[in-house]
Amino acid sequence: MSVPHSDPAHTHGPITRVGEIPGHDDHDHDIGHPSGDHGHGGIAKYLAVFAALCVLTTMSFLTYSPAWPWRNEPHVGWAFMMAVSCTKAMLVVLFFMHVLWEANWKYVLTIPAAMMALFLGIMLIPDIGLRTRMVAQERALHMARPSDVRLMEQAGEAKLLADPAGQQNHN
Amino acid sequence: MNASAATISHGHGHDHDNGHGHDGHHGPVLQYQPGLPLSRGKLIMWLFLSTEIMFFAALLGSYVVLRFGAPVWPKPHHVHLSEPIGAFNTFVLICSSVTIVLALEAARANRTGLAKFWMVLTLALGTLFLGVKGYEYQAKFSHGIYPWSPRSRVFEKPDLYYGSAVRARLGEPAIMDRLKELDDAAENTLSPEEVSGRRRLKQIGQMVSSPDQQPFDLAVVADQVMPLPVDASADHSGNSGHGSHGLNDTFPWLKLPAVIPGGNMWASTYFLLTGFHAIHVLVGLIVFAILLLYRLGPKRAGMIENAGLYWHFVDLVWIFLFPLLYLF
Repeated sequence: MSVPHSDPAHTHGPITRVGEIPGHDDHDHDIGHPSGDHGHGGIAKYLAVFAALCVLTTMSFLTYSPAWPWRNEPHVGWAFMMAVSCTKAMLVVLFFMHVLWEANWKYVLTIPAAMMALFLGIMLIPDIGLRTRMVAQERALHMARPSDVRLMEQAGEAKLLADPAGQQNHN
Repeated sequence: MNASAATISHGHGHDHDNGHGHDGHHGPVLQYQPGLPLSRGKLIMWLFLSTEIMFFAALLGSYVVLRFGAPVWPKPHHVHLSEPIGAFNTFVLICSSVTIVLALEAARANRTGLAKFWMVLTLALGTLFLGVKGYEYQAKFSHGIYPWSPRSRVFEKPDLYYGSAVRARLGEPAIMDRLKELDDAAENTLSPEEVSGRRRLKQIGQMVSSPDQQPFDLAVVADQVMPLPVDASADHSGNSGHGSHGLNDTFPWLKLPAVIPGGNMWASTYFLLTGFHAIHVLVGLIVFAILLLYRLGPKRAGMIENAGLYWHFVDLVWIFLFPLLYLF
């Protein structure tokens, strides 16, 4: 029984197609090849992904800038941030985790995970998250309500104990 | 070792036995081996990562439910959460993902010294992440925000329970001694904020002891202990130099209970999510430390790749945690 690709650098395994002989294409092996391997493109791809990730991380702060037009609609901001996160995640999974170059088993992994992520959002937020109007009495006794937040804001603005040393600079 | 779907037993330079298949057969001899075209270690690592996906999905799902179902949720600056520190941590983890990939490439190219260098850098960046996390946790703890009672000094609303907790703290012998010391100190030995602070302390002491406290009075007390500015710009003289805000900041030994609406639920979810993530980071660092004991050549590329997969997954979880916890 022959075991092709016993070279441990080939941990991807042969991807055989009809009529093709595996391993025929990349015969000059990487020992001594500084950048290219398996024709996947070398370090440059990873650095490009790194740059993209940095840009995306900066973009997720865009909702804080004064130029953001949807200040009054937090849902737009949340959707934008989730889109940025999903893009970053896709880049990490596809390139750093090498999934882009893997065989078809990657769909067995990624498609159910994507379904789960989608269902998590769709099922939990509207059906449970936004419908928690019934709370136990013990929780109701002690939990904060929007009226408490308003009370705290009013107390802050009233500055009843404002002192002349000038630390509180309103009023 | 590969679990291959099909092997063609001739025409392949690596074969030990046949070489070029003129062994009396007319065409290639197919030998089917069951399995997936990936190594066993990688398969197991992906299976493990699937379970980890489920684990974090459960935690994130419960965070989603609790957060969107809560009537009130604190703003980041109310709980002393700093988005720039979170962004820095994100950057650190992304860099460490890049370095582990570069370590893998170096190992495959049999440049063991370079591989070791990248792996040491990954370890260092991961440790930096944990250090920054520890600093963030310390910032929460120092303001009395803990994930459980009785450590937590956070109350949800300025009610009578809060008032009695403030009274109880002010009545503790050690605190009373320090208050007396403070009162007796001459004015020129104290800083201006301490001078006004002790006057305000006296006032709130009277307010919580008066027989007819209104919620508004207790809200004023809470605002004096730890104010909750409406937007971050009013509060941000940096998180470390809080300036003269709040009696708890002026007198670090005071540690009066504070009111942060929604704060306890926030603390619970924040510490749980980031705590479990930090544990996963720690496990990844231990794996890297062990790998550093080996010679990182092409033989170890499989191991490095699998450790890298785990590490990228940890980075992935943080990529989702960061906006959900810090930016939402």
